[in-house]
Amino acid sequence: MSQPWLSPAPLIQRKIRRAAMVVTAAFVLLLMRFWYLQALEGRHYATLSAHNRLRLRPLEAPRGFILDRTGAVMVENRPSFNVHVIPADVPDVEEAAQAIGPLLGQASTEVAARIRAGRAQPYEPVLLAREVDERTMVAMEERKIDLPGVSLRVHPIRSYLDGDSAAHFLGYVSEVSQEQLHREEYRDFQPGEMVGQAGVEQVFDAFVRGINGREEIEVDARGRLVRLVDRLEPQAGFNLVLTLDKKLQAAAEKAFAGKRGAVVAMHPQTGEILVWVSRPSYNPNLFAQRLSRESWEKLSTNPSHPLQNRPMQAQYAPGSIFKLVVMAAGLETGAITPDTTFYCPGHFTLGDVTFDDWEKAGHGWQNLMQATANSCNVYFYQASLKTGIDSIGWVAREFGLGQRTGIAVGDEAMGLIPTPAWKRRTQKEPWYPGDTVITGIGQGKILATPLQIVTMISAIANGGTIHRPWMLKRVESWGGEVVAAYGPEVVRKVNLKPQVLEVIRRGMLRAVEEGTGRASRIPGVRVAGKTGTAQVVKKDAGLTGQTKDHGWFTAFAPYEDPEIAIVVIAENAGFGSVAAAPVARAILEAAFGPARDRTTVAQGTGPGGRE
Amino acid sequence: MYFDRRMLTTFDWHMAGATLMLVGLGILTLWSGNLGSPSAMRQGLYLRQTLWLAFGILALLAAVLVNYRTLARFAYVIYGVLLALLIVVALVGEVAYGAQRWIRIAGWTLQPSEFMKLALILTLARYFEDHKERLGDLRLLVVPTLLAVAPVLLILKQPDLGTSTLLCLLTLAMLLVVGLRGKHLLALVLAGAALAPLLWSFLKDYQRQRLLVFLSPQLDPLGAGYHITQSKIAVGSGELFGKGLKAASQSQLQFLPASHTDFIFAVWAEQWGFIGCLVILFLYYFLTTHGLEIASEARDLFGALMAFGVMAMITIQFVVNSGMVLGVMPVVGIPLPLLSYGGSSLVVTCLGIGLVINVRMRRFLY
Repeated sequence: MSQPWLSPAPLIQRKIRRAAMVVTAAFVLLLMRFWYLQALEGRHYATLSAHNRLRLRPLEAPRGFILDRTGAVMVENRPSFNVHVIPADVPDVEEAAQAIGPLLGQASTEVAARIRAGRAQPYEPVLLAREVDERTMVAMEERKIDLPGVSLRVHPIRSYLDGDSAAHFLGYVSEVSQEQLHREEYRDFQPGEMVGQAGVEQVFDAFVRGINGREEIEVDARGRLVRLVDRLEPQAGFNLVLTLDKKLQAAAEKAFAGKRGAVVAMHPQTGEILVWVSRPSYNPNLFAQRLSRESWEKLSTNPSHPLQNRPMQAQYAPGSIFKLVVMAAGLETGAITPDTTFYCPGHFTLGDVTFDDWEKAGHGWQNLMQATANSCNVYFYQASLKTGIDSIGWVAREFGLGQRTGIAVGDEAMGLIPTPAWKRRTQKEPWYPGDTVITGIGQGKILATPLQIVTMISAIANGGTIHRPWMLKRVESWGGEVVAAYGPEVVRKVNLKPQVLEVIRRGMLRAVEEGTGRASRIPGVRVAGKTGTAQVVKKDAGLTGQTKDHGWFTAFAPYEDPEIAIVVIAENAGFGSVAAAPVARAILEAAFGPARDRTTVAQGTGPGGRE
Repeated sequence: MYFDRRMLTTFDWHMAGATLMLVGLGILTLWSGNLGSPSAMRQGLYLRQTLWLAFGILALLAAVLVNYRTLARFAYVIYGVLLALLIVVALVGEVAYGAQRWIRIAGWTLQPSEFMKLALILTLARYFEDHKERLGDLRLLVVPTLLAVAPVLLILKQPDLGTSTLLCLLTLAMLLVVGLRGKHLLALVLAGAALAPLLWSFLKDYQRQRLLVFLSPQLDPLGAGYHITQSKIAVGSGELFGKGLKAASQSQLQFLPASHTDFIFAVWAEQWGFIGCLVILFLYYFLTTHGLEIASEARDLFGALMAFGVMAMITIQFVVNSGMVLGVMPVVGIPLPLLSYGGSSLVVTCLGIGLVINVRMRRFLY
């Protein structure tokens, strides 16, 4: 302690000078080493360089599996073999092409052309054939001696076990495109590498991708493997555990078979996506195997848009489902109470315009509960006028309509809540009372995505919390270690009185138990729901030429303690009570056990199953 | 920050010039070495590096203009902020929401750790200046060691072996220059070695696995020599005058796993031969000795230690990287300062050189 180990400043100058001497010595040593390698041994290394026999072969890392919330496998990989050739190792292109061509079933002139094209970078392997079968592999092995520079490489192929099931949710993988390679996010990618291009595969690509390995091999003068020099094992990607429920998904797809549109189910207490159906669908396996030109054209020009991710990208008029918003706005502002009654003669006249009810005969005197259960238009025409468009628009935005839900997948549609300001801006026209009337039953310019609807219904069910919809529960390593875990994310609390939400829930319960939603009833569980119909105007009929209306149904259950919220939209299928509600019932049956008493359910689809 | 006219005349054009030349040669190599690359990313590297050079020049000028006494005042704060950033990186890696952010963190771990090099130099210089009255006390060793160990552990956990190694060597160099003795040095190194297993126990299984993969080129006795061999072939086959810009086939083979970062010197050596290597060696030697001279003539202890620390940082990286390329040192992943591709490394080195110039310019001011 008494002995000083540090000395004051003048000594530091000396120390720095000593450091400079050490640096000089180090530089002299480096210089000598350069001289030794480049001048003395230069010839030797130049020869080695000219006859470099080492080759680098990338080893593709398999992507992680994708599992549903219970751990059931939805996406895995299967091995396949590709044929490559290294141009530098082909002594005679013509000869080699004559040997390889027939084996692969390709014209030898074409093979020769491809090898020649690769001559610019002679050590870069050129892909000759993908996914060769076993017979070809054996034949290649036998004729190895005639195939200099040709090698087989394992290439894991993504395999979607249930084909087109949940395709839009899972997404697909394909080779990274030229356009992507020029973008900053893809700077670490090599041409030819596979990357997630949609859905979960794209959003969580970084987790699921893994790290490629490589192999250093020594080849002989004819490019044939002599020995393995070094091998860096590829690291498989992490496994993704989704929020999706495979059992419910299967039930929804079975019930929705042959229809166009979307089905989404969400856990109302957390915002987890349980079911995600978008129809028509596509088979992601096709992308994983390199899509043929015709298949791509068939997909992208199909008038039914199979590539569109309908739950979040398709916008529909919400129809009578929007009556729930009008109800909330009316109750919150005091414009109506549960006891407010209106008379429905089957139509409603405002100025010189007459608005029809779907029930031509009229519903007679209706209070709020009855009007909700029967989805009486005339009641809600008048309720909307009394409440006013400003309050309706405000409550719609409170429920998240007209804005993105914030789900992790990109390109989400916004929907549209028309307001007087919006109309002045876009149509250069004032807002008429008639606009309020039409908006009040969810028709006209108003638009919503199925995902927005199910998020809103979840908030109604859970007492007013808007959650961000989420898709991924956990990321796990192959050892089962949790790499990352996710939970619910609250977007906001809906600024409405709890009693208002309570009345809406009661109205929805009544709509299922004795109103338009009867087709969704299942025994043993109390279901609350609401039907809707999105009118299809002729000019919107699009390429399908269909002018039949879209049928909506949305529900949550059990009524007392909601565990699931559902939305179904069937395009051009008519009334929601007939086209959509039975699909919801199939999901509810899968969730809460099969119907024990079929007759009761059958009765539910009686004449009451109308809008 | 006021501007003194005398600054223009005292600005160290030699030092700045050598720096610019080295970066320029690096950009030339990034361009020519990736001409035939199949990857668009690789072909565009030289443009990105040119952009980074612009930031580098700004950083250098900024470092010159600030009075370095101000830096002495804020040294602990700067260090604290960067340490906090490193902790955030370590924590966020575990709980990040969304894969994109996770990979961002993983891809950019270098950033705070690069800047930590300078922060550590400033902190150590400040600490020794604060305690220059009792520089004889052996207890003064404790705090600098802790100041170094904290970031080293955090960076090792990322895992970034190269930067942690550099921080250790840098700290040792600074301790030596303030008068650390041989036997104490030995004790310090042994204590460091004892810490290693402790860190190992902190890591998760998959992290250990990745760390092993990261380390394996050196650990695996069979695979050991091959990258080194390839690098030696590249350097040696350049012979006296090099193969020229486009004929350098060895670099194209892609055996040099990081020919744009850690092994850029091998690419240069293959293209330009011994003559070219002589140029690089001369430029670095000039930079280093000139910088050390500035350090020894500084007007205060903080300036001397800061300038010394920056030059030590640059020189250690240069010597370790060249040694690796020449096959006489293990592959630890330390880039060649100024030449290797990498934005934060370039900006940090330029900042450091700016600080050294700053020390020289303020020798006679006030």
